[in-house]
Amino acid sequence: MAKVLEGPGMELFNKWGIRTPRHVVISTADQIDSLVHSNQWMRESKMVVKAHEALGGRFKLGLVKVDLDINQVKSAAKEMLGRDVQGLAISQVIISEMIPHNEEYYLAVKSVREGAEILMAKFGGVEVEANWEKVKRTFVEVGEKPGQEQLEKLAKEAGFTGEHVEKMRKFAERLFECYDNEDGSYMEINPLAINPADGKLCALDAVILLDGDARFRHPDWNFSFASEFGRAYTDNERTIMEIDSRIKGSVKLIEIPGGAVALLPAGGGASVFYSDAVIAMGGTLANYAEYSGDPPAWAVEALTDKVCSLPGIKHIIVGGAIANFTDVKATFTGIIAGFRKAKNDGKLKGVKIWVRRGGPNEAVGLEYMRKLADEGFDIHVYDRYTPLTDIAKYALQGEGK
Amino acid sequence: MSIIADENTRVVVMGGVAGVNAAKRMAEFCYLSHLPYNVTAFVYPPDAGKTAEIPFGSQFLAVPIYAKLKEATDNHPETNTALVYIGANRAYQGSLEALENEKINFVSMITEGVPEKDAKLLIKHAKRLGKVLNGPSSIGVLSAGKCRLGVIGGEYNNLKLSKLYRPGSFGVITKSGGLSNEIMWLVSQFADGVTTTIGVGGDAYPVTDFVTYLDLFEKDPDTKAVVIVGEMGGNLEEAAAVWYEAKPRRIKLIGIASGFCQEHLPKGMKFGHAGAKEGMHGEGSARAKSERLKKAGAIVPPTFGDLGPTIRKVYEDLKATGQIKAVKDIPAAELPELPRKVEEVISAGDVVVQPLFKTTISDDRGDEPLYCGYPASDLIEKGYDITHIIGLLWNKKLVSDKEAEVIKRILMLAADHGPCVSGAFATILAACAGIGLSQSVAAGLIMIGPRFGGAVTDAAKYFRFGLRNYPNDIPGFLAHMKKEVGPVPGIGHRVKSLKNPDKRVEVLKKTVRDLALRTPTLDYALAVEAITTTKKDNLILNVDGCMACVLVDLGFPEESLNGFFILARTIGMIGHWTDQKREGGKLIRLYNYLVNFAVPRRKEVPDRK
Repeated sequence: MAKVLEGPGMELFNKWGIRTPRHVVISTADQIDSLVHSNQWMRESKMVVKAHEALGGRFKLGLVKVDLDINQVKSAAKEMLGRDVQGLAISQVIISEMIPHNEEYYLAVKSVREGAEILMAKFGGVEVEANWEKVKRTFVEVGEKPGQEQLEKLAKEAGFTGEHVEKMRKFAERLFECYDNEDGSYMEINPLAINPADGKLCALDAVILLDGDARFRHPDWNFSFASEFGRAYTDNERTIMEIDSRIKGSVKLIEIPGGAVALLPAGGGASVFYSDAVIAMGGTLANYAEYSGDPPAWAVEALTDKVCSLPGIKHIIVGGAIANFTDVKATFTGIIAGFRKAKNDGKLKGVKIWVRRGGPNEAVGLEYMRKLADEGFDIHVYDRYTPLTDIAKYALQGEGK
Repeated sequence: MSIIADENTRVVVMGGVAGVNAAKRMAEFCYLSHLPYNVTAFVYPPDAGKTAEIPFGSQFLAVPIYAKLKEATDNHPETNTALVYIGANRAYQGSLEALENEKINFVSMITEGVPEKDAKLLIKHAKRLGKVLNGPSSIGVLSAGKCRLGVIGGEYNNLKLSKLYRPGSFGVITKSGGLSNEIMWLVSQFADGVTTTIGVGGDAYPVTDFVTYLDLFEKDPDTKAVVIVGEMGGNLEEAAAVWYEAKPRRIKLIGIASGFCQEHLPKGMKFGHAGAKEGMHGEGSARAKSERLKKAGAIVPPTFGDLGPTIRKVYEDLKATGQIKAVKDIPAAELPELPRKVEEVISAGDVVVQPLFKTTISDDRGDEPLYCGYPASDLIEKGYDITHIIGLLWNKKLVSDKEAEVIKRILMLAADHGPCVSGAFATILAACAGIGLSQSVAAGLIMIGPRFGGAVTDAAKYFRFGLRNYPNDIPGFLAHMKKEVGPVPGIGHRVKSLKNPDKRVEVLKKTVRDLALRTPTLDYALAVEAITTTKKDNLILNVDGCMACVLVDLGFPEESLNGFFILARTIGMIGHWTDQKREGGKLIRLYNYLVNFAVPRRKEVPDRK
């Protein structure tokens, strides 16, 4: 899954005939003057300014301002751009036309194993979470389209009457078409409202999760994906994502500020068990990371460098199960190069390193790791005879052999 | 017994390099388990009609490659299983083709990064066709002692350590490729090993869920317990729990799910597997899954670290109740070793191989070429140039700056001599006939011999002979040459003479004088010239002779000297070929008037006798 920010999300909606408020995305306040010149609506309408970042709780953080005239828009944009939130600078804001409305609705399409569910409610905004059981849903099998009667029934069940039933049916059809054709995983409009200017439904927000694996059949996806966990990606995370996108195999990194145990494990399955083991022992995680699929040594070295640079860490866990085909010697060569570089750069002071791994060339790879002790590394190396996650226990309880 | 894959499984592998690599791993397993090889064919259109070479012990098997799956199954009707190693953008079509093939009853999809919509459509097709499709992103399926599909089980040594050459009593189902090996290892250490292990893949929507395999395990009398390794996200574990409690089950179920850390991590954080994502409204957490499995009667160890002891406990209980009989292990010494590659045996010092030939000048086995031991990049960084490389490769000596300057000037002087000389002409003739660069230059180089540019080596040889045997007796040397050899190589020119000296010779002589190099051979040759020019003024020391003397005075071996002419003149020949190409040189046919047709005039052919 991959999240799309509101601006490009609304462009995708427009492509499939879903109305959205007129809007622009800017990265400096200076852009506003020339945009006002070419966008009549910016001179005539009241506007909404929002930080255009993958941030949770924007309203509470003061990153959403409503009912503004153009001068207020300028000062709001100036105030938001560059503002530091949770250690990250706001780099873009979205300015959109304010649509006055009395009622708010909810519409979503969600991927499920056998196909998709269309969700609809005659209420919107924060009321949706609070009244989740009142949200009506209908199922569409994969490869099929929702029927006209099926959608009318859904709209009626959700409480729509009169011409609203037809409006909601058409709108849901278009949202489903967008979801289906754009390889959506989840698409949500909350709120959905009637624009009094033309009496038509308009998506006032766009939550869009696409299937990143389908990128190969969407050459027009010209946007980059945003993070899904309520904050923007850090520079280190972006660097590793960029490396991940162009190598055989994979390297992954997510930073968690304040943790004391850094992870550098192999494999998408084992890495989560390592995270669990650290938490179960009462430790705090400084990151989530993982490499797998026999990545090149340089990519693992780059990941190691980022992991060693995490502030305040006391332990690094180089864990892993018995690999099928990831070459232990080769990937460890990358990790060792990363460790040496970090040490030369004055990092890893007082940091203990814990290693457990098996797989092709395991004996040589583990021996290389052991030899790091001669270079002054505080390193503890275990082989397949030590249970997978026991090194987390050793690290946090000082039970090392 | 086993499920999904056994000794009767015959496999077609769809896809290129990765498929062939997996097929090699499968051959290792068959070899270890004393089974015949189970891959019948490959489907890979770019290589259709060829065969893939698969090492099997010390043999090499040639497995045919087809363009279409149907051709493969028509030609190998025993095939009943397909492994899909096709790239993500075409994997859907390939897997559908495999599902629809009537000979194939099991398909395992190894491809990673398959779009969710494609996977969901495949779920529908598999259901419609009543077949099992495993994956996507599956590491494979392994039935101990019977069949390996894919790279599951890892390297050869791990197959032995995890006792995968003989069946045990535990089934294993994992989403993670890496953990499948770990669990098989645990089961071999804490119990008697596996019956079948299935990697279902870590995607959000694996085509076949845990329940499909649990049903099959329940029906397999040799499987006494099953270990399922789950993770947060999705509902495969919950479905397994529902299945397990639905009625009394024969198999023991051990279940573990990862993702408890989620409670302490940023909301919505994505883990290694696409399937391991947070449920929209709290469902699918590791805690919820573990509780659900426990409630259904499964044994759920508190942490991954407790999994091994839990497996041991289940195994001991099953043994105590007589449901499992002790398996006899094969001693390690009786298991076949994979034949080692000759490189490995040599580096271990176990054999000596008589080399085919010897080299003393260059070595590129490391990260860059070494010229007589000097890394090329170091030579460049320290300011050496091509003349030093010539010195190293032709004479194994790092020449001095003065010597390098002489070599450079010789190459410059000999680089070309116009289009009419035999070498350049042959190159041009070939270029105009449409022949490629290397062949055209080779045609020119073939012309180099005793009459064209090839006097360098001979001149050196005879001037050195004279210097050694007739140091102070040039008339004696000339008499010897006249009697035994003929004209002195390096002396004489068709157009140049004392009055019309060869500029190139003048430059070369000046170079060595200016650099104050010691030139005994050149001095001797000039003394010879002083005598020969008294007889005829074009019997001068020519450029070949001068080059020869200078180069032997620099210490180059005689046999290398024609090389200077070949190397230098190659520059000109490449120029002539390029020139003809650029100018669109037309095909050359010799004019009739340039030939004296000294053949009999036309006459009648007599009848055959």
